Amino acid sequence: MVGLIGPNAAGKSTLARIACGLLRPGAGSVRLRGDDAFALPRRERARRVAFLSQDEPADLPFTAREVALMGRAPHLGLWALEAPGDRALAVAALAEADALDLADRPVAQLSGGERQRVFLARAFAQDAALLVLDEPTAALDLSHQVLLVTAVRKRAQRGRGALLVLHDLALAGAACDRLVLLRAGRLLAEGGTHEVLRPDVLGEAYGTQVDVVPDPATGQPLVAPRIPR
Amino acid sequence: MRRSAAVRAAIALVVLAPLVAVAVAVGLSLGAGTLSLGAALRGVEPDATVLFRLRIPRVVLAAIVGAGLSVAGVALQALLRNPLADPFVFGLSGGAAIGAALSVAITGTTLGVAGVSAAGWIGLLPTQFAAVLGSLAAAVLVFTLGRARGRLHPERALLVGVVFNSFASALVIALEAVLAPEKTQAVLLWLAGTLGYEPEPVLFAAGAVVLVAAGILTALAGRLNLLALGDEGAAALGVDVEWTRLLSFFAASAAVGAAVALTGLVGFVGLVVPHAVRLVAGPDHRVVLPASALGGAAFLVLADAIARVLFRGLGTEPPVGAVTALLGAPLFVLLLRRRI
Repeated sequence: MVGLIGPNAAGKSTLARIACGLLRPGAGSVRLRGDDAFALPRRERARRVAFLSQDEPADLPFTAREVALMGRAPHLGLWALEAPGDRALAVAALAEADALDLADRPVAQLSGGERQRVFLARAFAQDAALLVLDEPTAALDLSHQVLLVTAVRKRAQRGRGALLVLHDLALAGAACDRLVLLRAGRLLAEGGTHEVLRPDVLGEAYGTQVDVVPDPATGQPLVAPRIPR
Repeated sequence: MRRSAAVRAAIALVVLAPLVAVAVAVGLSLGAGTLSLGAALRGVEPDATVLFRLRIPRVVLAAIVGAGLSVAGVALQALLRNPLADPFVFGLSGGAAIGAALSVAITGTTLGVAGVSAAGWIGLLPTQFAAVLGSLAAAVLVFTLGRARGRLHPERALLVGVVFNSFASALVIALEAVLAPEKTQAVLLWLAGTLGYEPEPVLFAAGAVVLVAAGILTALAGRLNLLALGDEGAAALGVDVEWTRLLSFFAASAAVGAAVALTGLVGFVGLVVPHAVRLVAGPDHRVVLPASALGGAAFLVLADAIARVLFRGLGTEPPVGAVTALLGAPLFVLLLRRRI
């Protein structure tokens, strides 16, 4: 589980899209399990990497179950007809994203937190080796943040890689195994949470002073902004 | 929806097939004169001629046009992510109107004579031929102006289409002012959407166009569903967004072109049938597309039968386009209210 952090306009979302093969980089290459992402057929690429965007549509008329099934699209043949196995996988993905109780409700009627879990289920159903999430917790309250990140983390522990663009450094420290810190389109630091979440590194990246203390329960670095009072 | 898309599509077709059959039966038995179906099938004249030369071709025409406009409406609504899109939204109605009005304006000139022979060669009337040319030109124009930086922007194309349609109606009004009223009235009435009697080869050709278009769109139905996620969301699921859009745009335009050639501008069908089907069957295009084809066919066959009966006493009939709106609008509001 890798977190992509950095100040606004650092290029985090752009890098996330490049990693998914949705944007072509100006230079360099992207490899998905050894193959050039831009040489792969689109559907094969979508079987290798799933993407959860920052602005998924809110007004979808489809039910949560149908949206989860959309994740199976890269695996379906002509006419896009799903087999019972695909339906079972979609249900399993809904359960994994803690959205099974929403299955038969139209997505347009769900709250922001519920909707995000449904879209996460769609990404899970895609059954890709890598999951890229662009600020998945931006619009969520604390409990929904925890639900979403926990679901992604459980999946990562079963060998599915996850790349998360995150703004919340406390969440990044608590949830991720590795962090990549960008500033103005350049790599500033990369490594374990303790190596990247350091007052000197963050001070340079964000141009503001922060304190970092170990979390009393887990020992993970906890970033606290220093606000004069 | 707990059932799979295939099962739901099958249910929709099983429910709609009898509806189409009823509509066809009504369409065949209603008309200007009374007709005995039994006598006609035994070959008794004039019933046989009325059935085989007049009523069957007309019902077939209505079914083809209704199905074509409905699938085109579904496709354009999905493509533009806009529930207000109708088959003529890409400037096709404006183009058809300009073409038809111009064909009247140039009647008698050298160009007019050339046009008549070109139209006659493919079995169409000059007005029909000009309307198809006009709508095709409009579609190409809107599609070209809707592109920027190498891809189609739906909002942009939609705006260009709306602006072009307004421009075209202004142009047609100007032409009307210049031309003799008796010349233009027939054209305008035809443009309002009129079902007539077409030669068999023309019917077959139009039927084939609509069938192929509906087949292509149904094959793309899964991708049209994914387009609801946005261009990027669809691309992340392996959809070639640009190609899907191009192909469904041209399939829909071909179906609309065939409909315009045969009947002018029958409004409302392509807007209201898809929405009515969605209200009942849900948003999945794999179900909505085939169901709309059948629903649209039944709707227009019935509307045409009603148009023929409604004004029988006056010895005339209103354009079917007027009937589709008169019938469709209240029906749709009723459906909408029952749903909520």
